[in-house]
Amino acid sequence: MWDVVKSVLAAFFGVQQDQRRRKDFEQGKPGAFIIVGILLALVMVAIVFAIARMAAG
Amino acid sequence: MAPQSPPKATLEHSQSASGSAAADEFQEEEHHYRSGPLRWLLTTNHKEIGSLYLIFSLSMFMIGGAMALVIRLELFQPGLQMIQPEFFNQMTTMHGLIMVFGAVMPGFVGLANWMIPLQIGAPDMALPRLNNFSFWLLPIAFTLLLSTLLMPGGGPNFGWTFYAPLSTTYAPPSTTFFIFALHMAGISSILGAINIIATILNLRAPGMRLMDMTLFVWTWLITAFLLIAVMPVLAGVITMMLLDINFGTSFFNAAGGGDPVLFQHLFWFFGHPEVYIMILPAFGIVSVIIPTFARKRLFGYASMVYATAAIAILSFLVWAHHMFAVGLPLVAELFFMYTTLLIAVPTGVKVFNWITTLFRGEITFETPMLFALAFVVLFTIGGFSGLMLAIAPADFQYHDTYFVVAHFHYVLVPGAVFSIMAAVYYWLPKWTGHYPDERLGRWHFWLSVIGVNLLFFPMHFAGLAGMPRRIPDYALQFADFNMASSIGGFLFGFSQLLFIWVVVKCVRGGVKAPANPWDGATDLEWTVPSPAPLHTFETPPDLRGFKFH
Amino acid sequence: MRKMFALAALLAGLSGQFPISHATDWNMPVGVSQVSRDVYDLHMIIFWICVVIGIVVFGVMFYSLFRYRRSKGAKAAQFHEHTTVEVLWTAIPFLILVAMAIPATATLKNMYDASEADYDVMITGHQWRWQYDYMGEGVTFFSNLGTPREQIAGTEEKGEHYLLEVDEPLVLPINRKIRLLTTSADVIHSWWVPDLAVKKDAIPGFVNESWTRIDEPGIYRGQCTELCGKDHGFMPVVVHAMEQEQFDAWLEERRQAAAADAGGVDREWELAELVERGEKVYATICAACHQAEGQGLPPTFPALAGNQALMDDLEHHIDAVVNGVSGSAMASFSGTLNPIDIAAVITFERNAWGHETGDVVQPADIQALLSP
Repeated sequence: MWDVVKSVLAAFFGVQQDQRRRKDFEQGKPGAFIIVGILLALVMVAIVFAIARMAAG
Repeated sequence: MAPQSPPKATLEHSQSASGSAAADEFQEEEHHYRSGPLRWLLTTNHKEIGSLYLIFSLSMFMIGGAMALVIRLELFQPGLQMIQPEFFNQMTTMHGLIMVFGAVMPGFVGLANWMIPLQIGAPDMALPRLNNFSFWLLPIAFTLLLSTLLMPGGGPNFGWTFYAPLSTTYAPPSTTFFIFALHMAGISSILGAINIIATILNLRAPGMRLMDMTLFVWTWLITAFLLIAVMPVLAGVITMMLLDINFGTSFFNAAGGGDPVLFQHLFWFFGHPEVYIMILPAFGIVSVIIPTFARKRLFGYASMVYATAAIAILSFLVWAHHMFAVGLPLVAELFFMYTTLLIAVPTGVKVFNWITTLFRGEITFETPMLFALAFVVLFTIGGFSGLMLAIAPADFQYHDTYFVVAHFHYVLVPGAVFSIMAAVYYWLPKWTGHYPDERLGRWHFWLSVIGVNLLFFPMHFAGLAGMPRRIPDYALQFADFNMASSIGGFLFGFSQLLFIWVVVKCVRGGVKAPANPWDGATDLEWTVPSPAPLHTFETPPDLRGFKFH
Repeated sequence: MRKMFALAALLAGLSGQFPISHATDWNMPVGVSQVSRDVYDLHMIIFWICVVIGIVVFGVMFYSLFRYRRSKGAKAAQFHEHTTVEVLWTAIPFLILVAMAIPATATLKNMYDASEADYDVMITGHQWRWQYDYMGEGVTFFSNLGTPREQIAGTEEKGEHYLLEVDEPLVLPINRKIRLLTTSADVIHSWWVPDLAVKKDAIPGFVNESWTRIDEPGIYRGQCTELCGKDHGFMPVVVHAMEQEQFDAWLEERRQAAAADAGGVDREWELAELVERGEKVYATICAACHQAEGQGLPPTFPALAGNQALMDDLEHHIDAVVNGVSGSAMASFSGTLNPIDIAAVITFERNAWGHETGDVVQPADIQALLSP
């Protein structure tokens, strides 16, 4: 699971080593990546929103 | 940039597994076709439908362009000379609607129809009859839309963003027809997107994994998901307009307890992903053309895919940056400013990757490459002004001025439109079996580049100096910029006649093109003969072991 | 490269032919308030960031195009990935953007703090004019395009402030915090004065808030920036900023004029004086839609001249002007015109363009309708 999160975070950042990517595409089930991807996207929205609230004071 | 003649045919190329089985198919005689117009009406062939889409897109591009020239003619100098404000507003509105929904989107769908099956080794689109229906909705929709210009009260005159209540309570009676036309265009897009997703996910030749697909296929896959996500939102918002106009509801009518700002939230929740729908396939095209003519693998393939996905996800989170001046709460304003700035990162990554692909390549400058390179430079300029617009406090000064007009025309014309032209020059040999005339192509390119910059660059200055958009007449200090823009507009507009001539000439004949007309091209479409026979990959090629990009 | 030079040469050629009067006409104005200066600084910072990134990126690009062309004997290298470089060019833009977001956030917070204002002005957008209401002062008026139609049609020489002049500007004192409340009576408009860096949409059913504090006396010009229909290009904004004493004198004068007007409601008015006053009201308020000769622009804006149904139904005529016509472009004027003007304009319409109803609508009757 942690590997999936790491891979998704790498994808968010846009940089991933070729071997790891190959491994992900061969072993992982796409469902896990999609769910983690959506969850992390929501987390990102929450973080940006929290920063905006903090900045607004 | 010294002129180069087209590379001489090199038939031998890495055709390890795919070729032989497929090539045998092509020897077979073509079978049973209707002739005459009915053939085009009833065709379910992806290549024919692709051509129909492209011809439709080009016709709409010329009609929308003619409207732009009417606008530029009126704005050539201050004062009202040619047309009255009522008609001017109809021209700006129709120009926007036709270019967005009639020219750019169908242009990309046409390219997808032609090239996605060829690039993934599929015999056709997954849903061929649906494909026919998606296309034929469009000419009907746009005939209806154009006919509103002749109705009493005129056509839509509220801008392509059709903000309520100008587009509801205060709209001309033809608005109901405008809504109907847009519904049809929307259904066409949704069906087209479903078809593209079904094709890409199900019909890839054995051995082709997702990360083996070309960037053009990837970007279209992601674009298709965007389309399915947002076109229903557009359908919803125009249905609410329809109810407000004809059935006495008050969704957007403040006097009845409605909310005009709700309209803008809904519209831009559709509208911003729509902006990316019009640019992601362009990224795909450029990512295919640049490696071909740099003779070097695309740098950072995986990060290109990730960046496309990131842009797509972020595109749902930035819509209110179109609405910084409507009086959003401070927190919302900051949130949308931050997300908008974030989107610059994956976009920047794409540009860096293209340029690094060029770095230490073996570059030649055929016409498709010229358009792709101009895309990179001029799209990036549009990206810069986009970055400036993201700064909310500064946006109060830029918003709804010609600075914004300059910005989105830079990303749409030398962006999306140039990419379509690059794609046409790139794939014409495959479609027709002939090279496009390289000399005329160059003329078309240089006239277009000079024209487009003369047209849109001065608009930055006009906007910063204070000229609002969508006005038929302007104060005297904006006169020089507008005159330059109008001259550029006519130069760019008439240069496109040259484009039509090049295409027609290429269809009729020219230097014979081999299966792979560009010596740096390696994708699957170049393994089938030129011109591509009506049926290709009837037996899927076995791609296990094929060397992808 | 060559295309850049060609473009530069073309632009230079054009500007030589049509001399640009002031250098500042090419850029955003610095403006006359602290906020406008902050915004200008943000604009220039982000602009120069873009220029520097552009020079680096396009520099590498054109170097590659020049150096690695096949005609010069280049041979393609085979690299296609480099993790360090990719991490760097993702991280560096991100940091630049964070650095940019910090001052932008500070400026935005300041722009949103409209508290403790010295004056409140309610700005209402109408098709196609602005209305200014000095809240609590009892002073309100319309601000119409001042440019004559002949200049627009080109039968007369265009003036220096063509399309940027009004009959009555918004008058404001300098060095005072003015809260600007924007709303609309019909469609969405947007009130913009570049020199103040204030642009706020005027939306029906909403009241938006912004503020300004002007440093220098002067006349500052802007325009409506949200497409609001036919005459969107013809509803400028003009702000006349003056010293406090001058402003006080001006406000007092307007207050007295308003009071004098209010007294006129109760008296009996003659047909001729109502028609005379109504003609002016018609020209500034009604003519934009219903046209100078009452011919209208059907079907959106119906004709008044020769409209027998309307002439036969005085009650409906009054109701349409006072309450508007639901579901159409006809707005209610009960909140924007005073009873004298409403009575005058209806009387005028019923006795102009060949109409000879002889109807006289008394301001007192309208007053009674408004406050039953």
